[in-house]
Amino acid sequence: MSLKTRGIFNKLFTFCCSSSVVLLAAVLIIILAPMMYTGCTAVIFRGTHEFRAMQLELFDRGDPQQIQQEEERLQELRQPIYDMLSHFERGIATEQLVDQAKDIYRDYGDKLRYDNVPRDVYLSKRRQAREIRNLLSDAYETTDKTEALEYLDEVDSHELKPDFADTKIAQLFEMADEYREIVNTVDLDRRDEYLTALDEVKEALRRLFGPRPGAERAHLAMNRYGSTRWDQVQKNLDVLLYAQKWVQEEPGQPAVKKSVSRAEEQFAGTTLEPLFAMVENDIEKLTQPKPTFYWQYFIDDSTPGYFFGGVGPEILGTILITLGAMLFATPLGIISAWYLVEYGKDGHVVRIIRSCVNTLAGVPSIVFGLFGLAFFLMFLFPRIGLSSEPSILAGSLTLGLLVLPVIIRASEEAIRSVPQTYKEASLALGAGEFRTFLTVTLPAALPGILTGIILSLSRAAGETAPVLFIAAIASGPKPGSIFDPTRLLSYGSYVIATGDRIAMRVPHKQYGMVMTLILLVLLLNIVAIVVRSKMARKLRGY
Amino acid sequence: MKLTKTLRNSWLVLVAAIMISCPAMAAEEPIDIDGSTTVGPIADAFKEAFEDIHPDASLTIKKTGSGDGAAALVADRTDIAMMSRFMKPKEFKTAVDKGIYPVAHVVAMDGVCVVVHPSNTIDELTSDQVKAIYKGEITNWKELGGPDMKIVPVSRDTASGTYETFHKLVMKKEKMDSGVEYVNSNPQAHARVSKTQGAIAYVGLGFLDRKVKALEIDGVTPTRRTIAKGLYPVSRPLYLFTNGYPKLGSLVHAFCTFHLSEEGQEIIESKGFVPLTDY
Repeated sequence: MSLKTRGIFNKLFTFCCSSSVVLLAAVLIIILAPMMYTGCTAVIFRGTHEFRAMQLELFDRGDPQQIQQEEERLQELRQPIYDMLSHFERGIATEQLVDQAKDIYRDYGDKLRYDNVPRDVYLSKRRQAREIRNLLSDAYETTDKTEALEYLDEVDSHELKPDFADTKIAQLFEMADEYREIVNTVDLDRRDEYLTALDEVKEALRRLFGPRPGAERAHLAMNRYGSTRWDQVQKNLDVLLYAQKWVQEEPGQPAVKKSVSRAEEQFAGTTLEPLFAMVENDIEKLTQPKPTFYWQYFIDDSTPGYFFGGVGPEILGTILITLGAMLFATPLGIISAWYLVEYGKDGHVVRIIRSCVNTLAGVPSIVFGLFGLAFFLMFLFPRIGLSSEPSILAGSLTLGLLVLPVIIRASEEAIRSVPQTYKEASLALGAGEFRTFLTVTLPAALPGILTGIILSLSRAAGETAPVLFIAAIASGPKPGSIFDPTRLLSYGSYVIATGDRIAMRVPHKQYGMVMTLILLVLLLNIVAIVVRSKMARKLRGY
Repeated sequence: MKLTKTLRNSWLVLVAAIMISCPAMAAEEPIDIDGSTTVGPIADAFKEAFEDIHPDASLTIKKTGSGDGAAALVADRTDIAMMSRFMKPKEFKTAVDKGIYPVAHVVAMDGVCVVVHPSNTIDELTSDQVKAIYKGEITNWKELGGPDMKIVPVSRDTASGTYETFHKLVMKKEKMDSGVEYVNSNPQAHARVSKTQGAIAYVGLGFLDRKVKALEIDGVTPTRRTIAKGLYPVSRPLYLFTNGYPKLGSLVHAFCTFHLSEEGQEIIESKGFVPLTDY
């Protein structure tokens, strides 16, 4: 081959190498960047007033006075919206009105009986009142406008109206007047349609601004507040402003999605129509979004189901269990490696052990989980007087076993690469085998061993399957000791992705947890790398 | 030499740090709850409200699946097992052999709703048609009077209680076609259907929203009312199992009867399940 072609090949090879590195980096960025970006929105976002109210109530953070003032100002702004809604509701949710009329009539009857009026007066008044009630109910129930108005007129012109002036029945006349006004603005034929749409509107409003003022306090924190973040505000605003309709355009073809403006189509011409423009134009005023840096995400506890709050206990649990695994696996790994290198001559036994270690490295992690359950929890712990309930200790031991092969392989290579002359020098000075290993071989091999530890740290922190049965819980108190189970970042991400429907409403929490796990692993790695480079420098005698 | 010393010291510091961060065991023994991912949200929500009422109570919840919940109760690893199906005779037998007597508390009802993409023009199917779809006998929506789309049947994994309900009530214990996709949670089934035009899947009642369309089965729409009354054909109760009836007045007893309180019922409803009272 001529020198020239060789040169070209060399260049081609260099190009391939560097481009593959670039490609790897790009893939990493493409996968990690969106995840990290979405994850960051768990910490940095535009928080609304609802967020600040939630923080104050659940975590005792923020200035109570300021938040109270903001609350009052917002209530004032939101009140017209609720008034409009209540007014419209009175014309639509007629079942409630019929019930109300019945209640009024019953109260009136009771009162008459207690008042001890003559029997014939009692009977006639009661009959009249019943008549009025029935007319009003008929007016409420009919969907024909003229018919309804006729009934209302009949109520209004009732001969005994003045007689009832100071009684409960007067309220029935008031209700009739109110309803007359509504009938004139609402298309009664579409009442059922309005009713379902109204439920959607009410739900969207609740998700935006929280429960209506005066409503009972919700039992769960997730129902107590409206949209705490600007992205949620936008999502819920969209639901409020537009309904979805699926229309089939051609037979045999799938239907097509159509957005229907509630203001322009669903509620056009009703008294509710101005509500939508009002909310849309003033949404920033109504929610008060402000840039928020929620660093407490990393220390806060969360409400069950991860709806509000942070990942504090998960971080603590992950660190504890990972360090525990390392405490268990590192000494064991180094000693095994030492044996394999120094004492196990290249015989059959060593070869079998080595291939066993390699096989162990390839065993699926769920097998380790089941092994941990069967061996530690069911077999070993009860026999040495520990409880057979899930615990950090059991998780650490199992994860330790999981990463052991990696540590053994790395340590073996590191110990083997220590020059024979070091050892010979030490032995010649009269040091024993053990002393030589501890003071000469091990320090020289440490940087290599640390590489193995770094690799296994990340693995231990991220594994879900082994801890599924033996250490992890989905919710519970912070661990008090290593004999308690704990929440974990890895298992938490799994729990949040499966099971509960609220995960669909808080995607940022899901990504936030993944981001935290990545950051934590990165942090542990950086610490280990710094320690390693310091050690290496020391060894070189700087 | 110096290096090993610093090394040894750093280990000591580490061990000490872990010991310090782990003070003595908490005085109150927590109630352990383990089992179904479907019942999990109810337990989560109950925990939140329950700890307000009983400040000294502490609960730990694990969601591993109905089968594991039963196994944990049988092995006495948990106080309460959440299950979205009833215990199998075999599980009962091993439990009784070990001196554990499972008692069921029905906390709520749930419907297994058959859902399709909202663009699908089909509104109603019979359970035989659904069965035929999952057996691979019907492969295009055209055959059912819908648009010309290939059917993508999606099922839950065979370990889930939801699968077992569907398998028993709709499939009549017949095998599904090999072309059926398996996903291992309700949110995943929901996501698959909301993103795939031809897909069909089944999810719990709480997962119905405007991104998917629930079908009428045998002429019955899945709603709270039809499920509570048992009209909807694919409904099931959700259980908590305890070892024997819990000691009256104990926290476990309070937890297992929490669903009877008005508060408990409201929570069940707000979590998308059907409370047992039919008022």
